[in-house]
Amino acid sequence: MASIVVDPSRMTIDPKASPCCHQDSGPETVAAMERELAQERTLLRRQFTVAAVLTSLVLLSSLGPMVGGHHRAFGPPWFSSPWTQLLLTTPVLFWCGRSFFTGAWSALRRHSADMNTLVAAGTGIAWLTSLMATVLPQVLVAEGLPVDVYYETAAVIITLVLLGRLLEARARGQTSEAIRRLLQLQPPTARVLRQGQPVQIPVALVAVGDQIMVRPGEKVPVDGVLEEGQSWVEEAMLTGEATPVAKAVGDPVIGASLNRSGSFTFRVTRVGGDTVLAQIVELVRQAQSSRTRVQRLADRVVGWFVPVVIALAVTAFVVWFLVSGNAVLAMLFLVSVLVIACPCALGLATPTSIMVASGKGAENGLIFRSAEGLETAGKLRTIVVDKTGTLTRGQPEVTHFERLPGGVLPAPTLLALTAALESRSEHPLAEAIVAYGRSQLQESELPSVEAFEAMAGRGVQGSIGGQQVRVGTPRWFEELGINTATLKPLVERLEGAACSVAVVVVDGRMEGCFGVADPLKPTSAAAIAALRRLGLEVVMLSGDARRTAEVVAAQVGIERVIAEVRPADKAAVVRQLQEKGEGPVAMVGDGINDAPALAQADVGIAMGTGTDVAIAASDITLISGNLAGVAAAIDLSRQTMANIRQNLFFAFAYNVAGIPIAAGLLFPLTGWLLNPMIAGAAMAFSSVSVVTNALRLRRFSPAPLPPASR
Amino acid sequence: MTCCTLALAATAPLWRTIDQPPALKLLVAAIGLAFIVGELWWFLAPHGSGVAARKGSDGRQEVTITVDGGYDPPRIQVVAGQPLRLTFHRIDPSSCVAQVIFPDFQRSLDLPLDASTSIDLLPKEPGLYPFHCGMNMVRGMLEVVAA
Repeated sequence: MASIVVDPSRMTIDPKASPCCHQDSGPETVAAMERELAQERTLLRRQFTVAAVLTSLVLLSSLGPMVGGHHRAFGPPWFSSPWTQLLLTTPVLFWCGRSFFTGAWSALRRHSADMNTLVAAGTGIAWLTSLMATVLPQVLVAEGLPVDVYYETAAVIITLVLLGRLLEARARGQTSEAIRRLLQLQPPTARVLRQGQPVQIPVALVAVGDQIMVRPGEKVPVDGVLEEGQSWVEEAMLTGEATPVAKAVGDPVIGASLNRSGSFTFRVTRVGGDTVLAQIVELVRQAQSSRTRVQRLADRVVGWFVPVVIALAVTAFVVWFLVSGNAVLAMLFLVSVLVIACPCALGLATPTSIMVASGKGAENGLIFRSAEGLETAGKLRTIVVDKTGTLTRGQPEVTHFERLPGGVLPAPTLLALTAALESRSEHPLAEAIVAYGRSQLQESELPSVEAFEAMAGRGVQGSIGGQQVRVGTPRWFEELGINTATLKPLVERLEGAACSVAVVVVDGRMEGCFGVADPLKPTSAAAIAALRRLGLEVVMLSGDARRTAEVVAAQVGIERVIAEVRPADKAAVVRQLQEKGEGPVAMVGDGINDAPALAQADVGIAMGTGTDVAIAASDITLISGNLAGVAAAIDLSRQTMANIRQNLFFAFAYNVAGIPIAAGLLFPLTGWLLNPMIAGAAMAFSSVSVVTNALRLRRFSPAPLPPASR
Repeated sequence: MTCCTLALAATAPLWRTIDQPPALKLLVAAIGLAFIVGELWWFLAPHGSGVAARKGSDGRQEVTITVDGGYDPPRIQVVAGQPLRLTFHRIDPSSCVAQVIFPDFQRSLDLPLDASTSIDLLPKEPGLYPFHCGMNMVRGMLEVVAA
């Protein structure tokens, strides 16, 4: 069930609407949070150090009486006195560990219980029992119980939990590293042209419409369009593509990309929260604050967990008291259960992995919009790939032109006539022919066309300088009664090369023939091979004729083709695959006319264009527009989900295995009971192991593309 | 055995059965049971309905939440379909509460210490929308009711 009923796109923050409140995720807030985290670490380290020193003394002090059951004093008698231990332990609990007690108290007032509750209750009870044994030992003696104190237990638990928190705070700083690194990509200042003079100003003051100069080796400060000069720009930090991109007048440049060779001037089109970089940061943050389905379940469990654990701990106490009549023993079980059950690791298990993974994805140009997308991507079985713009460049080019036998017009005249006629058409193939014609002709003037007419699915016709010119499919000319038999071998050859064929007929004579194809992206074949290696069924979707589509599919190594699909039917094709049980199905498309299909798919993957990041219908955006990113995203998802499963195992194993042992279920069988100190250590290290395991994901790097299968 | 150095060895005099009067056993059991019932009621039973948001001048619903070991008020009642601004004032130094997450809205907010930070949301559908700290130990509830 989709539980997100609120459209996140409608809930944008408008910084202008509330200037009073800092609600941006800009570098200042991040820096402030960093400072705070550092301060907390310093305090934690101080508390831990003090706790460790005092606790060692308490342990030494308590060691004496425990050796061999003899009261062999360690040091002078006063050192092993319970009063000394009381003196040493009290500051450990109420100074070093005061946050557990204050946290537990304020949670209690609000009817909630958390890890502080468990730690405070566990150590507090151990301390109180010991206090009673110290102040009123005669009560225990009268009961025939040993006058033992458990100060060292309380002190060791506090120290270990503090150590766990310290390690965790250190590790948590590293999980948000990706966002910090992204924010640091933006240079602090920009060289703006003011009355023709370059002036260095802070980036925050740059406005849309400003002209900015960028020298070699400098970073582009914000987004814009190049106006003067040319250069090679490295966009790897945003798109994950290592190769520098050529930039000439009119090309978009992206803020935070690195200018390699030339100097250029560009006009600013987007600043602040509108820039590509800001959008990426926002999307990564969104993904990090969303929850996987697994996590939602874990969240619900956590709410019940602490109160239930308290109930279990009290039950253990009562049962052991009834069985043994030994209040001290029962108290030890109570403390163990409270301490081992801290659900801290459970709460950390998924979010830390998601944090690291979505940041890692962003570094590689893979933007996950939600944790659910990240979760589902790894389970995909079928990938539907749209042909145009995904496998191919999406811009048809003339790959073949020849004059036909029997034609009388010289090639330049023929090209001029064809280009002139096609310049009136809006068909994508026409655009390719016009571009080709213009590039071959010297003069840019094309003859004027009269009586232009477009025949849907057939071609176009018009009159140029008294000649009747037609450009269209061979089938159309067959219908018009022109003998196209001589064309057959050529048409077959062109179609075999995935070309669309356009024949030019002037005054009833066949004059020339064009082959127009949408060239494949260089990485397509290798990317498909990578997907197949991951065990996925790849289906190509195309609006082209079956023959053309099959040729393209064969070139990239796809066996299953669904051709002649109108754009509006793409979503239906995805749904059919889902209904046939081939799911989960991913749809890879350009995000514009594929939007319904992207939304229908279990995972919608949009090919970014470099400047458009927030493609609404998609779950994953590949900023580079490189299909190889799909395999990388799936790979990352699988590794992340494996990581989350390991984390949940760590978290649950400690709790599920720990609670029964702590409650003393094994005691009658083995004669062991879990020392509350060991329970404290187990709890602390379950959190640490979860965070450390999540940090392993930082080593993720996309597998290199395999050689194309053909 | 190493296990035994980790776990307390079950040696006398700690592990000793003591005969307790049945009345005391009964008393301990009764107190334990009462404690469990009371504790579960205190933590899990619903306690009052949410604090209603106040109406701002421009029709926006506004709530200020103090972050101090928990969210105060922890349960907020707002009306569906109207923009909502939540302002968090954090006075709790623990870094656990330095971030607040609205999972259903896919939004998170960093809360600097001793400062007020706002987030704007548009709750569309009536229902319960929990929010919580980065580790999900501190929780609050947004109760969206039909207009």
